[in-house]
Amino acid sequence: MKSMDGAMRPAQMSMGKAAGRGGSLHKLAAVTQIKWLCISRNTMIMIGPLIVIGMVYACKILYGVRSEGTLVPFLTGMLLNIGISMNICAEGFIMVGTSIAEEKENHTLRALMTSSITGVQYFFGSILIPFVMLMAVNYIVLFISGISLEIVPWIPFFLVSAVASLTSCVLGMIVGICAKNQMNANLISYPFLMVFMMIPVFGNLSEGLHKISGFLFTGVMTGMTERLANGERYVMSALDMAVLFGELAVSILVFLILYKRNGYEKD
Amino acid sequence: MEQNVLLSLSHVSKRFKTELALKDINMTLRQGEILGFLGPSGAGKTTTIKIITGQLRQTSGEARLLGTDSANIDESIYENIGVVSDSSGIYKKMTVWQNLAVFARIWKVPRERVEQVLDQVGLAEHKNKPAGKLSKGQTQRLVLARAVLHKPRVLFLDEPTSGLDPTTAVAIHRMLLELKEQGMAIFLTTHNMEEATKLCDRVALLHDGEIVEFGSPQEICLKYNRNKKYHVLLAGGRELELAQNPENIVKITRWMEGDEIMRIHSCEPTLETVFLEVTGKDLNV
Repeated sequence: MKSMDGAMRPAQMSMGKAAGRGGSLHKLAAVTQIKWLCISRNTMIMIGPLIVIGMVYACKILYGVRSEGTLVPFLTGMLLNIGISMNICAEGFIMVGTSIAEEKENHTLRALMTSSITGVQYFFGSILIPFVMLMAVNYIVLFISGISLEIVPWIPFFLVSAVASLTSCVLGMIVGICAKNQMNANLISYPFLMVFMMIPVFGNLSEGLHKISGFLFTGVMTGMTERLANGERYVMSALDMAVLFGELAVSILVFLILYKRNGYEKD
Repeated sequence: MEQNVLLSLSHVSKRFKTELALKDINMTLRQGEILGFLGPSGAGKTTTIKIITGQLRQTSGEARLLGTDSANIDESIYENIGVVSDSSGIYKKMTVWQNLAVFARIWKVPRERVEQVLDQVGLAEHKNKPAGKLSKGQTQRLVLARAVLHKPRVLFLDEPTSGLDPTTAVAIHRMLLELKEQGMAIFLTTHNMEEATKLCDRVALLHDGEIVEFGSPQEICLKYNRNKKYHVLLAGGRELELAQNPENIVKITRWMEGDEIMRIHSCEPTLETVFLEVTGKDLNV
């Protein structure tokens, strides 16, 4: 992919060619390894999933003290709602966005891009580990929330969870592209957090917010878990599907537009 | 194209909006050669590297790297070239070894090569140290080690010893000369004329985007050695700078016969003084 003046920047390599290029899996594996080494050594990032899991577990214990360990569906739904929203939003945006910002800050992104890594390899290498971690935490939160696992529709849960996590990672890539440094990445993440995390979390308290929440990918995810907490069966509606895949498509489109304009790093 | 020419620029110009950053640049770089691009900040050195490596498109002219027009270069070119610039960062939280191992994986370089390069740059004993704890000189050596890990055919160095202590700079110079001996072509940009004189087979003096002189450092210095002078230290500590003329030749001959000369040097210009003469500006601006 070329920039506006026709030049190819190191931080803006071809997005199209590389995916199909044979023998490039080792490069994808190398980027993934780099990302894992960076993320696993970043306390700020690594503490996030632990906080989510710890908070859901602690709330379950604390709320369950009065009711002898059994939570009313409303509380179980709220726990799931908070845990999954926090995980998908805070972790997705921050883990991906901050790690790219960190690479910009330390000038390692440029080093990586002048080592024959393509834009596609960097994209997938950057989101693979966060995606797996988001998915894992979603399942852990589900298991520890105390929800009856018999009524969980595993395939729809996997699908909704995967698309929501992926969208969150792509939004994290957008944050990473726009951010100059880690501080800046956090700042840029806040509007995303306000919309995609807070609206579903407070959706239970306001009818208006609940309606808006239905049009957010995080809202679809929390909507599903609320129904499961209430003991209802979840069947994915056409609206849910449109919201999930539509927002994923829009995120990818925005990412591509930004990438085409500046690459991963504006010169 | 000449057989071992790895890089060529032919009438390359670059315009940024109204500013002409490079004007009709012509040069070649051959295998086993160190070519110096010498000029003050803003002269167009980094812009030239960016054009050659396809990071920036020239306004006119042709740039070819390893036989490929730079306009058609894609990321695979980086499998055959190495780049060291002031913006080449390291992964500070990874160890020195990991910093090289991940790039070795990208280039499919065997682990033995990582060991070899660490030895070469003198970082073998620090291989398990977090890279963030290295000194500035060690960091620069790590960046250089990474750039040569995959044995690139052309190495681009943008101010590689800028801000380094003399010992580290000498170690890096030694390594560059070894790489040159092994056949690597090195494109070096610097404003350090001593470094250029010591390392480069040929240098281009760049001023306001234009090559004002091109040739070997010795050729250039001798070309501008118009007013030949000699610096003489006589017994008794008297120091003199004498122009070459019949009168002074007689004087020097007489002092020599009387064994009065303790030290005598010719005073040909350095690259710095040539640059000053040609452009009217200092290199270290």
